[in-house]
Amino acid sequence: MKYLVMECHPGYAILLDEEGRFRKAANLHYKVGQTVRDPVWMRTERRRPARWVRSGIAAAAACLLLFLGVQFYQGYLQPYSFIYLTINPEVRMNLNRQGTVVGLAGTNADGEALLEGYDGRGKNKVTVADELIDRAIEMGFLSDGGRVSFSIDAPDEALFQAYGTELRTEVTEHLDGRILVTLEIVDHDRAQEALARPSASGTATATPAPTPTAIPTPTATPSPEPTRPANTPTAAPPAGDSGYGDSGYDDDGDSGYDDDDGGDSDYDDD
Amino acid sequence: MREEHKILQQVYAAKEDVQAADQLIVAYMPFIKAETGRFLRRMPVEGLDDELSIAMIAFHEAIGGYSRARGAFLNYASLLIRSRLIDYSRREQRHRRNLSLDAPAGEDDAALGETLAAEDDPHEEAVARYATRMEIEELTRQMQAFGVSLHDVADNCPKQQRTLEACRKALRHAQENPELLEAFLKTKKLPLGPLAAAGVERKTLERHRKYLVALLLIATNGYEILRGHLRQVMKGGAAR
Repeated sequence: MKYLVMECHPGYAILLDEEGRFRKAANLHYKVGQTVRDPVWMRTERRRPARWVRSGIAAAAACLLLFLGVQFYQGYLQPYSFIYLTINPEVRMNLNRQGTVVGLAGTNADGEALLEGYDGRGKNKVTVADELIDRAIEMGFLSDGGRVSFSIDAPDEALFQAYGTELRTEVTEHLDGRILVTLEIVDHDRAQEALARPSASGTATATPAPTPTAIPTPTATPSPEPTRPANTPTAAPPAGDSGYGDSGYDDDGDSGYDDDDGGDSDYDDD
Repeated sequence: MREEHKILQQVYAAKEDVQAADQLIVAYMPFIKAETGRFLRRMPVEGLDDELSIAMIAFHEAIGGYSRARGAFLNYASLLIRSRLIDYSRREQRHRRNLSLDAPAGEDDAALGETLAAEDDPHEEAVARYATRMEIEELTRQMQAFGVSLHDVADNCPKQQRTLEACRKALRHAQENPELLEAFLKTKKLPLGPLAAAGVERKTLERHRKYLVALLLIATNGYEILRGHLRQVMKGGAAR
């Protein structure tokens, strides 16, 4: 494009381009009336928005960041539900809303030993459960005929059902053909309530409805849905062995579950 | 302290007044030369070194962009001059790959440019430049009657293509209706209402009033060379 030199000043020149723009450029020894090419344009500073506008934008951006931060924290970092894995070592998995493990803690000495050198944060709950069970087998905490209990502390029934089903299915599949264990899914809140409540009759009626048995889990067609209370043994245990060991439940013959339903066991028979 | 205060007063006056800006630049030529010399590592020669022109426009930019929050004016100007000179030197380095017309053409000492056929007759060119200058001077005089200077027009010129197109639309409307141009010359007022009838927002016309004054004056009789330069605009198209 060609530019016509319209006016010359000591510091700059005014040029007219062929599109009708008047612009200021460096006066590279120009003379009025001269036609030039390739000028060096003067830079005009862009007008900055008023201070209050900039402050407003900064405040809005800060609010947005804060909102996103809170959303991220709530969605990915804040524990939303908990799963207590009890073999005898007991471990608590803190899960976020996505079901990803955001924290692990041993709730007894064996649990701490099981977690030593293990970091399951960021992994899916099923992966962590499988890996912890493997570690328990390696460390001698779990062997044939043992029992694995998942006590789920979820804020709603649907999540409890979903997690219970997923854990039962995946863990059963994971242990398929390797070891025979009893798999138990319980609602943590109800289990705690039952443990805290004194026995209705005051006598220990031996109604440990759960009569867990060593199972070949995969062949015993485990129920896909967890039940409440959810001990869902699928085969009879060896005589005299409840299969619980020192599971944290008391051994006074009281099941810990209330009997106010007329002797009907809370456990289904599937 | 007092010296700094004086410079500030001059800078703020130069922001408002073109002549004050020119005077400030002339007054601070030794400073501008010194800054250029620091960059070139030799004293620049006025009228020969483009770097000095670049430093001068950078000083002018410093006047326009200065505020007290930026600290001492001369420090700010020095910073701006240096950065512009660095940019210019990079730009020139890119162009250095091109063959210079001043480069020796062969075994004899003649420059490459001298061996090329002259495109323009220097005499004709001087005559054409003189005629152009006369037109520009006449335009400047006529614009003064409207209270508009070329400096104002450059500051008032649309930056966005869309606005530029809107102004061209108003110009075409005026060309198609010569009575508008006549009334414009007679009353020395921009016929905003009739121009807005071309489908351009009145606010846009008001905002670029000074630019439109220059454009409409060029569209009147007597500015053949300027109209020739802007033939694409005058015909309604855009130059490539």
